[in-house]
Amino acid sequence: MTAQDDEGLDAAEEEIEAEPAEGAGPAAEADDVEPVTDEESAEAEEAEAETDAGPALDDDVMGDEEADLLIPVEDYLGAGVHIGTQQKTKDMERFIHRVRTDGLYVLDVAKTDSRIRTAADFLANYSPEQILVTSSRQYGRFPAEKFAEAVGARARTGRFIPGTLTNPKYDGYIEPDVLVVTDPIGDAQAVKEAITVGIPVIAMCDSNNQTSNVDLVVPTNNKGRKALSVVYWLLANETLDRRGAEPAYSLDDFESGI
Amino acid sequence: MSESRTTEQRRCISCGLNIAGTNAARFKCPDCGDVIFRCAKCRKQSNLYECDDCGFEGP
Repeated sequence: MTAQDDEGLDAAEEEIEAEPAEGAGPAAEADDVEPVTDEESAEAEEAEAETDAGPALDDDVMGDEEADLLIPVEDYLGAGVHIGTQQKTKDMERFIHRVRTDGLYVLDVAKTDSRIRTAADFLANYSPEQILVTSSRQYGRFPAEKFAEAVGARARTGRFIPGTLTNPKYDGYIEPDVLVVTDPIGDAQAVKEAITVGIPVIAMCDSNNQTSNVDLVVPTNNKGRKALSVVYWLLANETLDRRGAEPAYSLDDFESGI
Repeated sequence: MSESRTTEQRRCISCGLNIAGTNAARFKCPDCGDVIFRCAKCRKQSNLYECDDCGFEGP
């Protein structure tokens, strides 16, 4: 953690993060939600309350048809990949399976799984160094950097310097062919520049995201630490698999110590 | 001949209009690899697109 990171929003996030970590149990959903706003911290508390109530995982998370998933559905549920927010957008409606009694929307895990494969197919079309992955979210930084390391892509985590894709005079100027963003809201600057230069955008979208200017949506919980680790890990493994390389990373490698 | 063919190929997959100006995207279909064009407006409005070859529906 650099001194720069301690300033501003990041410092604020850390202050908020300290609270749920103290009372959090071992279950996945509780200590995992990145509290950025009051609404989201309320969701984290709700999720925590639920996990304290019992160990049973909510198993109604996809359609009736049997799907052949990349990892067991219990692993998806354990990481909270299916947990959405209390808001939904019209764009994300088709990826939402149901709404829970506490108001949280549940994403369809089968569609998440399918889109991870599709995104891997898509990324396999590009040379590794022409892939750019960005994450301004604290919990997405480590998995994004690890993903970049695994597939040989470039990563820009933290603040996305304006001009990175559009200003040739900037020292860090790059010309990627495809952009992967962790959150279209947080990484809005990266998306905006990708639009300007006309490259496709893959975005990890939660139930509250709009898919404007996104060319491929991966529906997932993009606020949870474990959820992002699992999704980036799967995406890296699948991308390597499509290239004929041997996936050499385990899920633990993608889990940050934050 | 080749010019008209090029024009035909540069039609937005969602609205069918010829692509003009900037902010459009050209990429291969995630499923089948067929080339897809999306115009700036359809990208901004998040209009659904369907691949002509494989039927993949995005975004």
